[in-house]
Amino acid sequence: MVVRKLLDFLQLAGRSILHRKMRSWLTVIGVFIGITAVVALISIGLGLERTINEQVSGVFGVDNFVILSGNTFGGGPHGGDAGEYALDLELLKSIEGVKVAAALRERTGFVQGQPDAEGNTLQGFLPVMGLSAELMTEFKSFTGELEVMPGGRLFEPGDVEVAVLDYEISRRLGVEVGDTILVAGDDSNELNLTIIGIMAPPEEEDDDSEGGFGVSFSSGSDGDTINVPYETMDLLWGPADDVLVTLVRTEPGYDVDDVADRAEEALNDRGSDISAVTYTDISEAIGTMTSTISAFLAGIAGISLLVGGVGVMNTMFTSVLERTKEIGVMKAVGAKNSHVWTIFLIESGLMGLVGGIVGTLLGLGLSAVASSFIGRFFDIDLIVVASPLLIAYTLIGSFGIGALAGLWPAWRASRLPVVDALRYE
Amino acid sequence: MTLLRMAGVTKEYKLGKTVVRALRGLDLEIAEGEIVAIMGPSGSGKSTLMHILGALDTPTHGTATIDGADLAELREGQLVALRGKKVGFVFQTFNLIQTLSALQNVELPMIFQGISRSERTRRAKDLLTRVGLADRIRHKPNELSGGERQRVAIARALANDPEIILADEPTGNLDTESGSAILALLKGLSESDGKTVILVTHDPEAAEIAHRVIRLRDGCVSGEAGAGREATSTDSRGQEAGPRHGEGEASAPSPGTSPGAGAAGESEGGDGSA
Repeated sequence: MVVRKLLDFLQLAGRSILHRKMRSWLTVIGVFIGITAVVALISIGLGLERTINEQVSGVFGVDNFVILSGNTFGGGPHGGDAGEYALDLELLKSIEGVKVAAALRERTGFVQGQPDAEGNTLQGFLPVMGLSAELMTEFKSFTGELEVMPGGRLFEPGDVEVAVLDYEISRRLGVEVGDTILVAGDDSNELNLTIIGIMAPPEEEDDDSEGGFGVSFSSGSDGDTINVPYETMDLLWGPADDVLVTLVRTEPGYDVDDVADRAEEALNDRGSDISAVTYTDISEAIGTMTSTISAFLAGIAGISLLVGGVGVMNTMFTSVLERTKEIGVMKAVGAKNSHVWTIFLIESGLMGLVGGIVGTLLGLGLSAVASSFIGRFFDIDLIVVASPLLIAYTLIGSFGIGALAGLWPAWRASRLPVVDALRYE
Repeated sequence: MTLLRMAGVTKEYKLGKTVVRALRGLDLEIAEGEIVAIMGPSGSGKSTLMHILGALDTPTHGTATIDGADLAELREGQLVALRGKKVGFVFQTFNLIQTLSALQNVELPMIFQGISRSERTRRAKDLLTRVGLADRIRHKPNELSGGERQRVAIARALANDPEIILADEPTGNLDTESGSAILALLKGLSESDGKTVILVTHDPEAAEIAHRVIRLRDGCVSGEAGAGREATSTDSRGQEAGPRHGEGEASAPSPGTSPGAGAAGESEGGDGSA
């Protein structure tokens, strides 16, 4: 009975909207511009979030975590400063669930090359980077594919007194594979390191983002770094307190967040000041960031939606006024106040809904176009998200906005005294 | 049997700061099946009386009962239900809803009573056939002539099979020919269906079909006559209560018994249209 009446009222409302085609469409335009903006912006926001997440998960992998200096990530007020920290790598490796751990530490050391033909030796203070061999074998997604010049090789486990030089510095020092260089650390620790490889020179226009997440210690850098095995750093400078980053892979079957928590606790107990960052942490941070941006943009778009709502209200008030007599007739032939109210509410809700449908379609289309432009501009594949939830919420919401805007006019219509309404000319 | 009874009915309303007394202690009884014409100059309270007779409005003082129900004691919802079921309105300006077809206009009162679609459509088609518009049911009001519109309005008034048909100047906007046809239709409703028909009118021809003509002046009944006769002045103007009419009046046809001369009680087949 109630449903039947509602369907009948829906028809009545629909006819009345169609009767005023021009004005109804203009009103609907007001709504769908707002909806288009909201849908497009949220959709682009969601697409951005998913794209970033996929990129990060592609690099990060779900079974890895990163150890950074305390509160670097998502923490204190100075978040973002990648500080150096002390690390007991052996302790880390011994923690249950840790499969591989590889670290990176950096110092500035005194370096002396080979004497040239005239007996001149080039020497100076240069960045010396200590790399675990596993960094290159196990964590290629972080480091990218490292290439050395033909005839050389990268570090292998067990290497100690060896070095891999950046292309640029090898040229300046005038050294080749097989030559030795002298590197001096603290307390007159000195080692003669055999050069086993020279990094391939960076390609022109090499800003391909493949890989290079976070740890960029090779082709992209200044090209004057002396790379040595991680253990060699111990011999030159003693126990590590200058670690920049540590990468950890967990054993299959272990929960990466649990292992990360255990590692963080164990290392901090040893006097390190570190935090372990997992994929979950990063994706949460990305989520917070992108949803803040999305909410901000949607808020701006919401203003146009508000304007659309006011448009609906205006149209409905006009409609109530010009249909005063019709309302009187409806009441004279047996319509209750609630009937009149419902009919007008459905009418304004319908205008909202139609605006919502058109706006959603246009919004999704717009976001697809915008995504492809943004994607091309930044050279990434931006995912287009047409979330069913977003669509459902938008449609319900747009009907709601319409109905809300019609609430007052509909109430006014329903309260019209029937005698006055019939007399209205 | 008395269907409508007004006793000492006063209606006052405010127009700006002045209080207008549209009805001043009006007494009136209308029996089931009667055709009553209410006549009077502008401002005599005709429309106000019609609103109260149709349960669109309630008296300020006095009692108005429709089929035994005292309007003053009914809540808004009950008033709506009463007029929805017992009263059908026919207006001078037809008051059809422009967005709806003839059929849909006739269906409208039934929608508010929650009658099923199939039943509604069947009844609406029957009614439109009865008023002679079987071939015009899909037309919108603006595609119909004045006479046709008023017939749609009559069909709409009959939608919920009410006992009372209230027609406010039903011929006022029609040419003579169409007006006559509409009056014949209304007369038929009383004669063949036993409906009580109340006409508020200026039209002497409309008064012709009435069993009784009631004259209003300054919110009171000023005179009454049988069909076609000149209303007798009772000089009751200014009195607190107008004279009572009904049972005692010799000139009035005995209400309740089959009114009108040629009332062959053929209720279904009666094609009341001209």
